[in-house]
Amino acid sequence: MAKTADQYFDDLRETRVWRSIFRSGTGSSTLRRALAIQQNVFLHLFSTKVRTRMLSFSATWYLGTLTLGTFFILVATGIPLMLYYHPSVPQAYHDTKDLQFVVSSGLFLRNLHRWSAHAMVFLVFAHMFKVFYRGAYRTPREFNWVIGVILLLITLLLSYTGYLLPWDQLAYWAITVGSNIASAVPLIGDKIHFLLLGGSSVNANALLRFYVLHCMILPLAAIFFVAIHFWRIRKDGGLYAHSSEPAAVRSRSRAKKKEATING
Amino acid sequence: MAEAKDFVAAIDSNAKKSPRRIVFITRRTSAQVKAETEDQTQSFPEVLFRAAVAIQLLAIALVWISLLFNAPLEGLADPSHTPNPAKAPWYFLGLQEMLHYFPPVVAGVLAPGLVVMALIVIPYFKVNIEAEGLFTKDRLRRLRVFYAVTAPLVIFLGWFHVIVALVPTLIVAGLMLLASQSSAQSSSAFRRYLAARPLSYWVMTWFLFELMVVTATGTFFRGPGWSWVWPWKPY
Amino acid sequence: MANEHEENSSETARDLNRRRFFARLGLGSLSIAAVGTAAFAFQYLQPNVLYEPSPIVNQGKPDRYPLDSVTLDVGAGIYIIHSEEGFFSLSAVCTHLGCLTAWKQELGIIACPCHGSKFFVHADGAHKPGDKIEGPAPRPLPWKRIWLNDDGDLLVDRSTDVPPLARDSFVRI
Repeated sequence: MAKTADQYFDDLRETRVWRSIFRSGTGSSTLRRALAIQQNVFLHLFSTKVRTRMLSFSATWYLGTLTLGTFFILVATGIPLMLYYHPSVPQAYHDTKDLQFVVSSGLFLRNLHRWSAHAMVFLVFAHMFKVFYRGAYRTPREFNWVIGVILLLITLLLSYTGYLLPWDQLAYWAITVGSNIASAVPLIGDKIHFLLLGGSSVNANALLRFYVLHCMILPLAAIFFVAIHFWRIRKDGGLYAHSSEPAAVRSRSRAKKKEATING
Repeated sequence: MAEAKDFVAAIDSNAKKSPRRIVFITRRTSAQVKAETEDQTQSFPEVLFRAAVAIQLLAIALVWISLLFNAPLEGLADPSHTPNPAKAPWYFLGLQEMLHYFPPVVAGVLAPGLVVMALIVIPYFKVNIEAEGLFTKDRLRRLRVFYAVTAPLVIFLGWFHVIVALVPTLIVAGLMLLASQSSAQSSSAFRRYLAARPLSYWVMTWFLFELMVVTATGTFFRGPGWSWVWPWKPY
Repeated sequence: MANEHEENSSETARDLNRRRFFARLGLGSLSIAAVGTAAFAFQYLQPNVLYEPSPIVNQGKPDRYPLDSVTLDVGAGIYIIHSEEGFFSLSAVCTHLGCLTAWKQELGIIACPCHGSKFFVHADGAHKPGDKIEGPAPRPLPWKRIWLNDDGDLLVDRSTDVPPLARDSFVRI
């Protein structure tokens, strides 16, 4: 009988090279499956087990997973885009034009990067509201919620800094309007505006600063906080499941029923 | 037993499987379950596989969108020519809409700053940890507070002619009034649902509703000079 | 009982077949996507337009170069040499590791400052201009195609090597 893909994969996991890299061997015992998560530097952020109930679509709508997916796509498309992009005026615009019309698949990569960025902002917002309406920010998950708020801000900043990079009319005026809001901060507003743009108006310095923020500082910050975000899910007891909270939280009517049981 | 109980009690009713257990939870605290017997699934490979499939479906959808729709690219940036209207990215258009009505310090700094602060303190804000319906207890006093907060807000928004923010506020306020007239004994399921909503739910729903209406307005209904336009009529 | 059992096992078999089908479908489409991504990535990484200077450079009128002179054009990286046979052009880029060589008038040779390779400029017995005298350079300095355009200017195509001492490798006036 021909081997199935599963068996080939198991064979691969049994080899010395694989085991030397991933530290976990083959086998489908609970122990082996737990080790596969726990012994991997990336996967060990997650817990080895998940409540079966939390796998249903309605529990999370997979919004966190999908947000991570958009982040992967953005990294995978952003790095190739950097290969054809010079953050200087007006070369940035011509490079974007080249990506649009000259470079093979450049148009597609830019489209994918841009639409994924919009999708990520949308998904982060959706994730936040979903978490709120499920009450998943409650003790002991308060701090993970705060990290989530930080990640929301980082996502907005990532998208905002990326908005300037094509150096077209759309980019230039959106950033001009947006950065002038910073000037409205009392007392230190003009200083913030000056530091953000590296000058008193949107020009070559601002483009370079936004480029460095967009490609280096903000992605690193995002990765840092995402790692904590995932790790805290495990440390705080896994994905929030409704019934692990006090009955009174679940719904008023059920709590009433239980109180009636006790009283009666 | 003249004083009110300072705890909630509940019973695990699955007596066949486990010994009868009674839980006492002190009021104004949240219970944390240390151990549980729920069904669990190994993350490897089941959960990872599901995550991978979810991400793949997303990637396929985004690839199709990217093949069908091109990202916008306008002319070279020209500091001497401002396009009309000059719009921020869509997620900031709510902010831009507010900037149309209020000075930048209020709409651009104070309002978003307060929103972010509010989001951060939500989980530390330990009022009503039992998540009771807003009007289930102390109804009259809470109604008075509700009027005292809502009326000035409505007058303020009306004073500045912020119709786009006023309408969602009025709708949510109307639903809250309906909730105050409902209880767990109400005949319609919708009113029972409303009656059980806690304060935090109302505040967040109001925020979400405002955010959507204001962002949609800025995206679709604003044209040259930030005037009102209809999206189906080209300007 | 037996019938029921049989039904169950055939159902399980169908279930297994279906699972295998979907696993194959999934892995198959993933492999196609991976191959496609690799192909498109390879294509993407090759620029379709280069913003580099043209390989053909204009070296001006021939009378700028006196007889028996060796002139280095640093910008273009070539020598224009006016010998008895005519004008010819040698690459100035050392074949060892790409350093720019220099013309040593007092020694009558071309020398590389990096690792000490030395090259003939004048034909010397069996040695042709461009051949190595000593040093680590693996190949002689290549000759470049040179010709006169309609305005009487010398043009050199740096991207085309020509055989040394061949008739067409010289411009004669």
